[in-house]
Amino acid sequence: MAAELEGSKALGGLLSGLAQEAFHGHQGITEELLRSQLYPEVSLEEFRPFLAKMRGILKSIASADMDFNQLEAFLTAQTKKQGGITSDQAAVISKFWKNHKTKIRESLMNQSRWDSGLRGLSWRVDGKSQSRHSAQIHTPVAIMELEIGKSGQESEFLCLEFDEVKVSQLLKKLSEVEESISTLMQPA
Amino acid sequence: MEHHQYLRSPPQALSQSNLSLFSSIQLVDFQWKLGMAVSSDSCRSLKYPYVAVLLKVADHSGQVKNKCFEMTIPQFQNFYRQFKEIAAVIETV
Repeated sequence: MAAELEGSKALGGLLSGLAQEAFHGHQGITEELLRSQLYPEVSLEEFRPFLAKMRGILKSIASADMDFNQLEAFLTAQTKKQGGITSDQAAVISKFWKNHKTKIRESLMNQSRWDSGLRGLSWRVDGKSQSRHSAQIHTPVAIMELEIGKSGQESEFLCLEFDEVKVSQLLKKLSEVEESISTLMQPA
Repeated sequence: MEHHQYLRSPPQALSQSNLSLFSSIQLVDFQWKLGMAVSSDSCRSLKYPYVAVLLKVADHSGQVKNKCFEMTIPQFQNFYRQFKEIAAVIETV
């Protein structure tokens, strides 16, 4: 195996590129791009299986959402395998996962959401009042604008009007949701 | 003569220019579901909870439409917090 592939300097960059392509949906990160940028001395034939191995390792870690104990065990096993990784490389991979885990998980969550997500929320409260001889009639109205949208698509804006009664009704429902969440989050 | 007065708006308030009252709609029903995404083809260990919402909304013609969306738990908590603020404000009017 080419000496460069055993090193660990360019590996960080490689993992970034792999993450961009596999999780963050970045198009156009090809094998050749990664090779020429990070391992220019290595031939494509030698680079290919190396890239596949690293991609496989990264995907396994992300798919299992490994915690640090699992990661440790997994990477140690990889260093002991025939055709596995060096302990320097294991250290680079470990550091990469620790730094990027949250972002990668977020991307994976977004990838698996096929309904619209909530992108924005704003509101105001208006008070309608009548002047000119008639009694002041206050009918306050809450106006809420929700911005929703599916991954990669343009937002849809929903502008909802609520009077006091509706606000109260919805508040009750939201407190029921909150209660369900608390029940769910309770330790088993 | 009827006029609307702004009583209270949070920092990221709607400006009057992007809101026309003629385009606002009524919420007819709000249904919710608390779900847990367990696994997917791209991630075997997703395990994240989410709140799925189905809004039934009616425009001025009375036509009812369904609008669905999902929120993560932190998003829902922000939504709930904002709504509590709305309730507090509307009460003082």
